[in-house]
Amino acid sequence: MHFDLVINALPFLFKGFGLTLLVSVMGTVVGTVIGVAICALRWTSIPALSRLAALYISYFRGVPLLVQLLVFYNFLPYAGIDLSPIAAAICALGMVGGAYMAELLRGALAAIPKGQVEAGVALGFSPISIGRRLLLPQMLRLATPAMTNELILLVKASSLVSVVGLAEVTRVSQTFAASTLRPMEFYLAAGAFYLVTNLFLAYCGARLERKMARR
Amino acid sequence: MDMNTLLSYLPALGRGLWITLVCWLVASVGGVALGLVIALVQRSAAAPLRLLIKFYIEAMRCTPLIVLLFIVYDGGPAVGVLLDPIPAGIVVLIIHGSAYFAEIFRGGFQAVPAGQIEAANSLGMPPLAIVRRVLMPGALTAAMPSLINMVINVCKETALLSIITVGDLTFAVQNMAVETFAAFESLLALALGYWLLIEIFSRLGQRAERRINRHLRLRGATGKGGL
Amino acid sequence: MSDALVSISNVRKRFGDLEVLKDINLAVGRSEVVCLIGPSGSGKSTLLRCINFLERYDSGDIVVDGKLIGYEDQGGKRRLMNAGVLREMRKGIGMVFQQFNLWPHMTALENVAEPLLRVQRMNSTDALSKAQKMLERVGLEHKAGNYPTALSGGQQQRVAIARALSMDPALMLFDEPTSALDPELVGEVLQVMRDLAAEGMTMVVVTHEMGFAAKAADKVAFLDGGRIVQFAHPQQVLKQSTEPRVQQFLKTYHARNDF
Repeated sequence: MHFDLVINALPFLFKGFGLTLLVSVMGTVVGTVIGVAICALRWTSIPALSRLAALYISYFRGVPLLVQLLVFYNFLPYAGIDLSPIAAAICALGMVGGAYMAELLRGALAAIPKGQVEAGVALGFSPISIGRRLLLPQMLRLATPAMTNELILLVKASSLVSVVGLAEVTRVSQTFAASTLRPMEFYLAAGAFYLVTNLFLAYCGARLERKMARR
Repeated sequence: MDMNTLLSYLPALGRGLWITLVCWLVASVGGVALGLVIALVQRSAAAPLRLLIKFYIEAMRCTPLIVLLFIVYDGGPAVGVLLDPIPAGIVVLIIHGSAYFAEIFRGGFQAVPAGQIEAANSLGMPPLAIVRRVLMPGALTAAMPSLINMVINVCKETALLSIITVGDLTFAVQNMAVETFAAFESLLALALGYWLLIEIFSRLGQRAERRINRHLRLRGATGKGGL
Repeated sequence: MSDALVSISNVRKRFGDLEVLKDINLAVGRSEVVCLIGPSGSGKSTLLRCINFLERYDSGDIVVDGKLIGYEDQGGKRRLMNAGVLREMRKGIGMVFQQFNLWPHMTALENVAEPLLRVQRMNSTDALSKAQKMLERVGLEHKAGNYPTALSGGQQQRVAIARALSMDPALMLFDEPTSALDPELVGEVLQVMRDLAAEGMTMVVVTHEMGFAAKAADKVAFLDGGRIVQFAHPQQVLKQSTEPRVQQFLKTYHARNDF
């Protein structure tokens, strides 16, 4: 195998991977915001909002990511919205990330003893105060180890956002694979980028989990 | 898009759906089977083999599926592995999925209290019988929700096969979208189609879960199955 | 009854098919300490939790400080009380739980200050200084900066008492406050409660600590199967009771605890 071709292409591969990381991290941030919002909607007593939140989660977890991206990409011209590839990628990843995040937060919420909510109720806290001051800080803390899983998920998901026109690392290796006729080398290189990053994230997540357990 | 055009595409869509379902079924069964074998081997293997398995599982969980597909389908011929799209896709789905299924089974095994295995051992039960009568029932009960979840994931993964030219549902609808210029509508319908498919399977899965749990509890706990 | 801070009349409650409170009548005068004792499942915790409407009673009246709690009677019809009004009423009632229910992501000081900040809308300086004073009152001012995980069970419960007291309630409810504590830690909590009683706080306490009931309570109510079997002076209930169920309960209690 001729990995020297890969070495020559490294600057481009790194640039592509930079985009991968950018949209994954930003997607996680957006996803966290959306996830908290959806989780709050799920928790309200208004059935219409609660149902809407459940539908949101169901759609983004039930439809294949590729299809979601295709729908999103074709929706933009349909609705007359013009987004840059990076913005489109971050939006798309944020939306699906938000659905997974909402489920994650729901699990974290369930882990908080109900007595703490009762204490708040007995003291006369309003529901909003209970959610904001008593539950949310704990939920985010409990969910932090799992958030690294979220990031890993989005890093892998970003491999598909070339559909919305972003030249992230998989797309870059595809281009080089085609032009140099050396698919194996380039796809192995792409795989290596993901593997190293995600292994590192997984390691961080495991360490975070152990820290949580001690507290 | 008028009704006639849509009807003219129905056969192609039907074929696409059929291929999606077949790939889903084969990849799920294969993944579960391979995953179970890996999990069982991991339980009783020596340290080096366990390490190898662990690395394999981590590698599969850290690499995007599309990259794996490209490696096997596009890169394969360069090392003498020539596979048609469908076999290539199914093989990759099985190998990739087996890592997840192995982890799920491992979690299920851990959920069975060690004391139960100890009791079986002290009674002199042969290992295979212990796996069959003590370990698996408990593990399956614990793992069932995750197993169903993962099978649903495999269904979603089959959509990626369209990228390596497998004529699945996504592939068929994309063709239709391109040819009829009704891209957004077609793709939205595709999304809703998968959503429906997965909702149906999810409900069936929950029902099956209840039946299997009842069956496992009756045969295992009360010993009515006969030793 | 008009002098009573809490007046419970003909209260009934069911959980599904099970009637857990059967026609309860009870009055707690101002500055009185009333202990609720009885076997588990007798309804004593449920009754306590009805007083601040953490549990809904089905019929009857619970009047706290002159106002019916949980419901509004308008023109002969009873409706659930408006949530905001209920929250207002709860500000005057403090509750201490068996499991302490401190918030783990806040220090002791922050736990006590939080209701002052969120519910009473105090500013930060006032809230923190009042919280500090509350902690002094329960003897834990030196633990103000500690998180609950760094505190013993007895200390956590005392912080919980400080938190409830910070709202200056007229009434304090205690739901088995020492049941989750190691025996050596029970004493420090009971001491705080005795001090509170001596200061004139009106208290309703569900407890298994007969010693506390005997010495600190003004009245003791024995509940069994959802009814009040006896409601009288501690001596009359704990030492001189002629009710068979009370005698039976206390006998098993003594057998387990006098060794």
